[in-house]
Amino acid sequence: MNDSVNIKLTQDQLDMLKELGNIGSGHAITALSKLISGKIEVSLTSADIISFWKVPDLFVNPYVDMVGIFSDIPFNSDLAIIQIFTKESILNLINILSDFNKISIEDLKSIDDLDDFSCSIIAEIGSILSGHYTNALADLLSTKLVPNVPKIAIDTVNAILEGIIAKYSQISDLMIVINTKLTVSDINLEGTICLIPSINILKRLFNILNLKYDLNL
Amino acid sequence: MKKIKPHGCIEKSDKNGEIFLPMGHYAIINCKKRINNVDPKISIYGLGSCIALILFDNKNNVSGMSHILLPKSRQNKTINFPHKYADLSAKLLIQELINHGAMRKNIKAIIVGGSKIFDLDENFMGINNTEAIKKELEKLEIKIIGENTGGSEGRAVIFDTKDFSVYVKSTRESNFKKITS
Repeated sequence: MNDSVNIKLTQDQLDMLKELGNIGSGHAITALSKLISGKIEVSLTSADIISFWKVPDLFVNPYVDMVGIFSDIPFNSDLAIIQIFTKESILNLINILSDFNKISIEDLKSIDDLDDFSCSIIAEIGSILSGHYTNALADLLSTKLVPNVPKIAIDTVNAILEGIIAKYSQISDLMIVINTKLTVSDINLEGTICLIPSINILKRLFNILNLKYDLNL
Repeated sequence: MKKIKPHGCIEKSDKNGEIFLPMGHYAIINCKKRINNVDPKISIYGLGSCIALILFDNKNNVSGMSHILLPKSRQNKTINFPHKYADLSAKLLIQELINHGAMRKNIKAIIVGGSKIFDLDENFMGINNTEAIKKELEKLEIKIIGENTGGSEGRAVIFDTKDFSVYVKSTRESNFKKITS
């Protein structure tokens, strides 16, 4: 009996997860680029199987304050999308999409510092990104995926991730993180879209895609 | 009977004598293990729903800290990172302290963390963690002399093993504050 589920994925399976991430983030980013009518540079998606405590290390600086947008997707078991943007990026996005932005980056310390309108802009951006991401996945997997309304928090990346890591590392010490970095140099936008599937959902994914798997559940 | 393979002890500090504690890990400092005669600080930056459990015996100069993620371990399983769970971490950290020369009756606890970062209805992780560790410490008859828990923001916590003082700063604040009992 072993508590930590042994996840052994072949290169093919990892590539498949990467491809899922590429397709999903591709759709999400197209939607965002339409919204801001700007060109977005996307780095290749990475799919990692990683020890729970190393997950924050996937982000450039886990001790800097960032804006986190979290949406979970109820789909028999769990799937989560976390978007992490620098504070500057979010303010720039708000600037593009609305006319009255009075807040400076130094004053933006928590979500309460933003007015309702700005908050709903962030939530809307989060919704658009996670909605397009999951739509693409749902099409591919011929199933239905509807993300919940996103929640926003401004905190250090480590703190943002902790609750999510705790939830997804309950059955295993290993976690799968599918990460896509995006940048828009015109407006100084920098962020990461991160897909975290639970182990149960991974089994379903592999079943749908007819891939053999070796998950010791 | 649970089989426990302890992992996740952090022993090395950086050149300033600071030990960064990742999730599910713990550190023990006793007076014989001083590095270059510096009293190390144990710290966590960006503590969200997790709990920093700080235990020390100031008479025998032994201190320990663990970074707990979840309230309860699952039964009958091999556990690689026991300090992930509140119930196991409390027991094991006390045992480690005693192994390093602490007296059980002198051990005192300080708990920090357990906040609710995302305002979701079903997000009880922080609250559950806090309750679990308090219950466990009560069961083990360890007195909690200070706490800084709950709320909706992340924290940074520094435990100075020199004088057993704990400094906490929430993400919004700019200065560290000492936890007083």
